[in-house]
Amino acid sequence: MSSVTQETSTARRPVYGLIAEFDNTGDLMRAAEKVRDAGYIWWDCCTPFPVHGLDKAMGVKRTILPVLVFGAGATGTAAAFALQTFTNSFSFSTWALVKVTGYPYLISGKPMMSLPAFIPVIFEVTVLFSALSCVGLMFLFNGLPRLYHPLLQNNRFRRATNDRFFVVIEARDPKFLRGTTEAFLRTLGASAVEAVED
Amino acid sequence: MSHAPQVDFSSKNTQLGPASLVLRNAAVGIGVVCLGAGVYLGKSGAFNTDARSFWKMYLVAFLFGLTICLGGLFFLIIQFLTRAGWSVAVRRPAEALASNLKWIWLLFIPVLWMFFNGTAATLFPWADLATLEANDPGIAHVVGKKVAFLNANFFLVRAVVYFAAWAMLAWFFTNNSSRQDQDGAMHRTLSMQKWSGPAAIIFALTTTFAAVDWIMSLSPAWFSTMFGVYFFTGCVTGGYASLALITVRLTRLGLLKGIVSGEHLQDLGKLLFAFGMVFWAYIGFSQYMLIWYANLPEETGWFLTRQVGGWLPVTLMLLFGHFIIPFVGMISRWPKRYGISLAAASVWMLCFHWIDLYWLVMPEIPNDIGTFATYGDLVAKYGTQPNGLENPLNYILTAGVACLVTAGSIAYLQGRSLVPTRDPRLHESLSFENV
Repeated sequence: MSSVTQETSTARRPVYGLIAEFDNTGDLMRAAEKVRDAGYIWWDCCTPFPVHGLDKAMGVKRTILPVLVFGAGATGTAAAFALQTFTNSFSFSTWALVKVTGYPYLISGKPMMSLPAFIPVIFEVTVLFSALSCVGLMFLFNGLPRLYHPLLQNNRFRRATNDRFFVVIEARDPKFLRGTTEAFLRTLGASAVEAVED
Repeated sequence: MSHAPQVDFSSKNTQLGPASLVLRNAAVGIGVVCLGAGVYLGKSGAFNTDARSFWKMYLVAFLFGLTICLGGLFFLIIQFLTRAGWSVAVRRPAEALASNLKWIWLLFIPVLWMFFNGTAATLFPWADLATLEANDPGIAHVVGKKVAFLNANFFLVRAVVYFAAWAMLAWFFTNNSSRQDQDGAMHRTLSMQKWSGPAAIIFALTTTFAAVDWIMSLSPAWFSTMFGVYFFTGCVTGGYASLALITVRLTRLGLLKGIVSGEHLQDLGKLLFAFGMVFWAYIGFSQYMLIWYANLPEETGWFLTRQVGGWLPVTLMLLFGHFIIPFVGMISRWPKRYGISLAAASVWMLCFHWIDLYWLVMPEIPNDIGTFATYGDLVAKYGTQPNGLENPLNYILTAGVACLVTAGSIAYLQGRSLVPTRDPRLHESLSFENV
């Protein structure tokens, strides 16, 4: 087991990408605009806190998540309505070739189909569907959960959670050329540029 | 980084132009003429208006103006309570709305005067228990138990307390904010933050009891514990809609360039969406469902009245116009960010806020509402009741109050910069962005 560890640490590993370190958000914003304009696709910015306006500087498109969540919410509305309509109905006679019957209860003389009584359930299920789909799709779009990331091996990168700002350009980017990209990052005013192994 | 760019705080960008003076004077003129004509026509029974309908129409018009101003005051209180930074750039218009609370009690004097010339029972049936006893002993019995609260003297004292509290709060927030433009004193912000908590409590209590006094007691046997909150949702609907409308109007005049951005409009839109549409529907439905479910005769009459005859279309109009249509229309991001769509939504919500007040105040619960064997019998008797929306007196009186509130707001904005230039959080507001 120890020999395996040794072997991997001495072997030349492929490069994941290049990181450029910045001291402040202003430098980072200017750098992000230039990386964006240079046409890179597989790159990201890592900051200790949300930086307003960074999305614009990076040219990040707006997410379609809200549209999908609206769809999920509408599905929840319809599902809750259908559920209550079905369970309060006497029979949905031949559905799926079997006789299916709901559980009609007469409550304080109200009609079986009492929309006011359905609304709290419709509301709750709409919220449930929206919230779960929102969190679930957010994880999906972000590729989470992700248990390993090459950047977490880098010592310099640790300060991304504290007081440094990073631009990361990945090696899989079609425009990525180790020498050219490194020189390009240095022109952006980075305080350090470093390669990260995969 | 969002470096706040060089912002133009010169009077060209942050002061109303001379044309506003003309507009203000015209608004005062039209307002006074409308109110005068409305009162004259109403008193002389024009458009087949009886005394009770007239006073109710007047009350709707007054409440329309009052709720808008209370909404402005609530906005101020909540911004200081949460120490919000984003809202500083749009705070002055809210101050302008709230500043009307210093004089709006004048418009309520005619209603209070009814208690002195003995005609109060025209509007508030509980004011004359003897007549109520003769007309409807059942109701009179219930109302008789409420005499400790519903009596003329206590009613008048409460009204004075509400107006004094609102005027005082409005004065406190507008005065401190205006003076900070001159002296830039930090202690003003700290003091407004410190007192915003008690102010919120005072606001909540006074609006709740005012709603009970001035609207709920119109049908004195009926009660709903949710009613104060429902009235409050109306206040924020009117207040936020007006605030958004004024802000958009100012930017359309070419003012506040580089100060108010789409980000601020989006947040005003969010507040209008959250409070005016969603919260209103939430509270309205909560009130309805509890009464519908419990099905107690003393409670259901209020809603039954509103779902037969001419009131059914008004109720449905509220459901769709105050909630469903604007909810779907305003749910996404972009309608909140553009002046034209936000202004359209604001005007829409102001119209439906008025209809909401009309729906609260105008319907009369028939004495025999609890005596019908079936719903069909009720519809047979009251299915043709008119809702009176076609009476032009409604619109004359409301236009009068609305013009006076507009004039008061313009007058406030004329006296100072359109943005609190020396507020310590102004830079935060200028560089604010929705994530």
